[in-house]
Amino acid sequence: MEELTLEMAKRILEACERWARDIAGFPCSVAVVDKAGALIAVHKMDGAAMATTDIAIEKAWSAVAYKLSTLMMSRWLDPRTMGEKLGDHAFGMLGKGKGRLTFIPGGIPITGDDGEVIGGIGCSGVPPGRGEIDDTAVCEAGWSALYD
Amino acid sequence: MTLSLDMAKRMLNAGVKQAQGMGNPCSIAIVDENGWLVALHRMDGAVIPSADIARDKAWTAAAFRLPSSAISKFGNPSMPGFGLNTQNWNDRLTTIPGGLPIEDGGDVIGAVGVCGDTPEQDVVVCQAAIAALSAQA
Repeated sequence: MEELTLEMAKRILEACERWARDIAGFPCSVAVVDKAGALIAVHKMDGAAMATTDIAIEKAWSAVAYKLSTLMMSRWLDPRTMGEKLGDHAFGMLGKGKGRLTFIPGGIPITGDDGEVIGGIGCSGVPPGRGEIDDTAVCEAGWSALYD
Repeated sequence: MTLSLDMAKRMLNAGVKQAQGMGNPCSIAIVDENGWLVALHRMDGAVIPSADIARDKAWTAAAFRLPSSAISKFGNPSMPGFGLNTQNWNDRLTTIPGGLPIEDGGDVIGAVGVCGDTPEQDVVVCQAAIAALSAQA
């Protein structure tokens, strides 16, 4: 698995949508980007808010750009641990990425066989505060579909 | 009838098949009647900016309820719309052919935008996508 194809992206989206609909119970948008962060495919499920599409794309882009899940990146700006992980750099990250960088949890990188990042998944639309049910879990459902 | 994700997927599959037959990797975007993105696929081998351009074409077709190629007629100084290019238009207005509105019984329910090869071939892919919708509806 070196390169993400549209066929693989569709398989990821299918699994994300199934999980979001049947388990999370929230319509959302899911995006898949390649190893350059460029969009391969995005779906907005019926009933998802319009703005979720762009947020999903940006989460996927951010996860690839930093080769980290955006959940980890959100920790940099967590007021409770502010300064512990990134020192004084943390706030400086906010203006970077030409407006595309987002620190909202819900984007994960996809790693290939040799551990290199070959793409990313972003999801937006699941409200926060629901425990295990969140945007990141939707992304992970899609990621595991690659190994079915 | 509102545009659902299932309908969008059907159109994308038909469009991708048409583009593959023509040996023309491209991006296809489907937007709803207000120009909001519903689904977008960038085929393997299609260049990166094609995704955004396809979305712009679809947005233009949905916003004007016209094929994106028809917008250039407003650039004629004798037309009442002359000067429309000086407005911001959400940074999405384009006059490149390859965006077509999706009509259902006279109502525009969305639009499809294609970017990949020549504008003429993009329009053919658009038409194939829209035909897939009416074939099963």
